[in-house]
Amino acid sequence: MSDRRHEPPEDDPRPARRFTLDEPATPGPEIPRPRLDFDSHLPSRPLEEEAPVSRAERDLEASLGRPRKRRWGLLTLLGGGIVLGSVELALRLPEALLGGDWLSGGWHLLGLGAIALGAGALLREAWRLRRLKRHDALRSRLARLPEADAAEALSLAKVLKQQLGLDDDHPHWQAFLAAREPHHGGAEIQQLLAHHLLAPRDRQARRLISRMSGETAVMVAVSPLTLVDMFLVAWRNLAMIDRLCRLYGLELGYASRLRLLRNVLYNMAFAGATEMASDAGVELLSLNLAGRLSARAGQGMGVGLLTARLGLRTQRLTRPLVFGESEAPRMADLRSELWQQLRRLEKQE
Amino acid sequence: MRQSLTRELTNLIERGRDRQLRLAVTGLSRSGKTAFLTSLVNQLRHAGLEARLDLMPAAREGRLLGARRVSQPDLGVPRFPYDQAMAALDAEPPRWPEPTRGISELRLSIRYRPARRGLLRADTAELNLDLFDYPGEWLLDLPLLGHDYLSWSRAMLAGAGEQRRALLAEWERVAAGLDPAAEANEAELAEVAALYAHSLQAAREAGFANLQPGRFLLPGDLEGAPVLQFFPLPALADADDSALAKLPPESVYATLAARFRHYQQHIVRPFYRDHFRRFDRQIVLVDVLGALNAGPERFEDLSQALATLMQSFDYGKRSLLSRLFSPRIDRLAIAATKADHVTPEQHANLTTLLEALLAEPLQDLRYANVPVKALSLAAIRATEAHEVSHRNERSPALRGTTLAGEEVLVFPGEVPAKLPEPGFWARQGFDFRAFRPAPREGGALPHIRLDAALDWLIGDKLQ
Repeated sequence: MSDRRHEPPEDDPRPARRFTLDEPATPGPEIPRPRLDFDSHLPSRPLEEEAPVSRAERDLEASLGRPRKRRWGLLTLLGGGIVLGSVELALRLPEALLGGDWLSGGWHLLGLGAIALGAGALLREAWRLRRLKRHDALRSRLARLPEADAAEALSLAKVLKQQLGLDDDHPHWQAFLAAREPHHGGAEIQQLLAHHLLAPRDRQARRLISRMSGETAVMVAVSPLTLVDMFLVAWRNLAMIDRLCRLYGLELGYASRLRLLRNVLYNMAFAGATEMASDAGVELLSLNLAGRLSARAGQGMGVGLLTARLGLRTQRLTRPLVFGESEAPRMADLRSELWQQLRRLEKQE
Repeated sequence: MRQSLTRELTNLIERGRDRQLRLAVTGLSRSGKTAFLTSLVNQLRHAGLEARLDLMPAAREGRLLGARRVSQPDLGVPRFPYDQAMAALDAEPPRWPEPTRGISELRLSIRYRPARRGLLRADTAELNLDLFDYPGEWLLDLPLLGHDYLSWSRAMLAGAGEQRRALLAEWERVAAGLDPAAEANEAELAEVAALYAHSLQAAREAGFANLQPGRFLLPGDLEGAPVLQFFPLPALADADDSALAKLPPESVYATLAARFRHYQQHIVRPFYRDHFRRFDRQIVLVDVLGALNAGPERFEDLSQALATLMQSFDYGKRSLLSRLFSPRIDRLAIAATKADHVTPEQHANLTTLLEALLAEPLQDLRYANVPVKALSLAAIRATEAHEVSHRNERSPALRGTTLAGEEVLVFPGEVPAKLPEPGFWARQGFDFRAFRPAPREGGALPHIRLDAALDWLIGDKLQ
């Protein structure tokens, strides 16, 4: 207690203090520092090299990143339920059977079956979610393909082949192997992969999107019940996403579909909006076109465009090799097809 | 006269439609120009059939239909000896095509299906590609146009390194005895000039590239003419310019200067005017491996030669007007040839080294905003890439036949990503062996990245 009284707290105003004139003053910041000679053997490293990342920094990085949501409560509840339920049912089953209580035994068996089915479904979901993650990892590895050397590039190509579900003697893979030469580096292999493995799937995807958006547009345009259509449209869109994913070797479960859909919508809301702004002129033109159709057909066109945009965005997010600047399919081509389809419809009416 | 006017007019129209390209295949002697041209013609002839041009989108998508040799516009120039070159490659044992000894031309008409169909577009379209072959030795004369005798004489003697000096020593000793002011003695000048030509030959044998004048190495039909009897005068290095200008016309200096001017005006300038002014695309072929074999001084010499050489071409963006009246090179590829003489994983280093070799011209091109692509290629692949298990280690290797006819399986050595210090040559040095072409099995010639080069040079016109 007595010490505290002698040492005032730091934020108190400092008392006056008198210096003698010959007291050595500490050198101010304006005086240049004198030269310092170092022994050349002292450990040093060039400044431009990045300092090794310390553990503390890595921890900080991890904590600043997007928080990893692990729903531990839900997992414990589900896992505990499955384990305890199955143990209890399994233990009670012989008892019930021995006691001749057939009804209770039947219920136990049914319960066990239900738990097994649920566990199976959960595992499948987890597996598919993992596949989606693996797919994303493959995408980011393939994005670095141009820097890879020949051996790495070839092993990546094999991973891609597996992901797309091609056999060793699939004609597309064989064509790729025939085109490949030992001197091809990463960038060249990427070109060949894009042409031989992905271009056929891109064409299919394009056809699918165009057909789906066209049909959706016509469906909305001719249907008398808008609310029902909306459900049908949502359903068709989900089916389209599923089929696009399957084209690029991705099988969706419930959770992975949700995750992908969230990604796609997020992308459409933010990334897509900037793109739309950039070809706002074309967008306005299509509004003009829609204005020239009847109200119903215009509605159909709007929904069709939305479907097309959803499809293109999904394609862009699931294609294993990220599209180059100019090769990504564009809305403009699909738009004219839609417009023509609806025009034909109007004329028939 | 009328015929040539029609020809000019047709050319003009074709150029206006941008359906005609003139490709400059530039390279010093032994850099592989003839092999490049032969292979180019061969690949395009076989395009759409057996040729593997997978790095060329037009060919990959099956749109490239092939090419035909058509009659060239200038009937006064020999045709490029494609058939002779192919005959050499087909011979038993196969040989490389003969080195070029004169100028020759070739026009290829490439037929393709346009990528997008339109109302105004036909089903097939054609692109005329003009090619031109010449001895690489003559190329080095182009920088002469920027000199007069005095400055050339000084430049020739100033920049020489130690080894080059040694090769020219005998000539220099004799030539140093000549007084610029003395009366010219025809016989003596002829003798010194012959000695000079001889020393240049020796320097070329030793691997030097920057050798002027080029006709001394390959005189063509000018053998023995007085116009080829001049040489730089060592005594001019520190002479007074105005005193030299007053020397009488029969003095040694004035005689040599007059011959130099004649050489410039009547040999170099027509060569430049007739063949080198109108180019749309260019590929610069460099034998980097040969320069590495030869050592640091010759590497530097090659770098200088290429830097001065590339100043003789016009680079810049094209517009309709410039396309018609003053064509400029708007796209350029630089290629390290003979890439089949090293194992595939060394190609990246080869390209880096090539960029280092051409650092100075590349800066100028960047300034002129001309897109450049560097690549390593082998127009005619003579080796096969293999992998060898040797003492439990896997090592890349090449399988081929050397020029002497010995079949080898060899790892030729690593290519450095940057030039090592001179001491390295004394310790170890490089020894990239030359191979002879593999026997042909029908179909197109095997190659390395010729398709990538072709796509870069003409791919944008095949859309």
